[in-house]
Amino acid sequence: MSDEVGTPGTRDPYAPELGGFDGLGGDAGTDEDKVVSTGTTTVGISAADGVVVGTDRRASLGGRFVSNKNVVKVEQIHPTAVLTLVGSVGGAQSFIRTLRSEANLYETRRGESMSIDALATLAGNFARGGPFMAIHPILGGVDAEGEHVYSIDPAGGVLEDDYTVTGSGMQLATGTIEGNYDPDMTVEEAGTLAAKAVDAASERDTGSGNGFVLATVTDEGVDVEEFDAVDAAL
Amino acid sequence: MQGNQQQAYDRGITIFSPDGRLYQVEYAREAVRRGSASVGVRTADGVVLAADRQTRSPLIEQSSIEKIHAVDDHVGIASAGHVADARQLVDIARRQAQVEQLRYDQPVSVESLTKEITDHIQQYTQTGGARPFGVALLVGGVLDGEPRLFETDPSGTPYEWQAVAIGGGRDDIQSYFEDEYRPEADLAGGIQLALTGLAEAEDEGLDPADVEVATVDVESEQFQTLSQEEVADHAEAADLGGETDE
Repeated sequence: MSDEVGTPGTRDPYAPELGGFDGLGGDAGTDEDKVVSTGTTTVGISAADGVVVGTDRRASLGGRFVSNKNVVKVEQIHPTAVLTLVGSVGGAQSFIRTLRSEANLYETRRGESMSIDALATLAGNFARGGPFMAIHPILGGVDAEGEHVYSIDPAGGVLEDDYTVTGSGMQLATGTIEGNYDPDMTVEEAGTLAAKAVDAASERDTGSGNGFVLATVTDEGVDVEEFDAVDAAL
Repeated sequence: MQGNQQQAYDRGITIFSPDGRLYQVEYAREAVRRGSASVGVRTADGVVLAADRQTRSPLIEQSSIEKIHAVDDHVGIASAGHVADARQLVDIARRQAQVEQLRYDQPVSVESLTKEITDHIQQYTQTGGARPFGVALLVGGVLDGEPRLFETDPSGTPYEWQAVAIGGGRDDIQSYFEDEYRPEADLAGGIQLALTGLAEAEDEGLDPADVEVATVDVESEQFQTLSQEEVADHAEAADLGGETDE
């Protein structure tokens, strides 16, 4: 231990405790023709008994070349929450690792897992303060207060909704969910609606396609299913 | 020679004695014992903090003797020992409470806040060139309907209590609490137990005007300081009333 005694109250509330933002370039990954991005359609839907998050499986260079057809763009970051990878793959993966370790640290220190609201606030702080570049993930989770779906925008905006869509196919997918959403639907029904939304986007958006991944979050935990074709989930 | 060696162990804070003691930490506990007492009582209805702030001169403004501090809407801290040291720790607690809001958009739990403070105190038992904090704190508050009461000591160890005393007369007050504490008491009962506990350490009886009392009740989850009139009413209800009572 050094002679310097740290003052806890001066810790940066906008930065992760582990790792950090210092020294990471602010302009890494701005050239979209060279950096793998997810393009993507990711949807999050809040149901009566849980939350579903569905994504396509395509990674592309600027939506013009399919660089990977098997991406799993939704990952567990908390015992009862998932986050999607949207935008720069490097930024999104780093963002997920950072949030997951912070959520783990919080839980081991305090003996209880973070609320989804707290997790969303933390994610917004990191998005705003960090070098993650163009990311626009969805956070879906369940806690003592119920089901939550948040979109986290690249500037750190944190907005909760019954359902939300991000990625290059967002307009197509939103149109599918709009009017067909019912807050009383079960997670199975919500999963089917998510698949339809990703299917619609995959048909017309060049950044989306190559199958479907569905994450189902209930108060018991997270289940992630992979489908080679969207049809299999309909 | 033996005597000189023995003495050397209390020179540096980072030096253990051969029997595994840190003398500077023990001296810091002695500094706490020299301070006037503070007590905390946890009831099902909330947490009570009370502090004896007898003045050395009638000319001093009593409100300038700070022994109970608001930390956040739902948490307060009472201290015994070096007031100046307490202020530093209270400020760390206040900052941490706000960091929790900035970071997670939620109020800090009393347990997390206490451990943040004690982790900071601990660093001063292991760092060369610094001295430990000569103060003990009682951290009391309510979050999500749950009243909690913690003590911090100069070693940086957190303890959770139902009723506890720190500072001068601690042993007498603590054994009084051990006899008289009733977990089913309401908040008023908790306040009266706190006052009669403080009176245990006073040979000449307790003057309610010398006592500072604050509560965080379960219903409002708000830190509130009692007025002098309210303290006097509770003292009267507890048969203290300012007269010699022992």
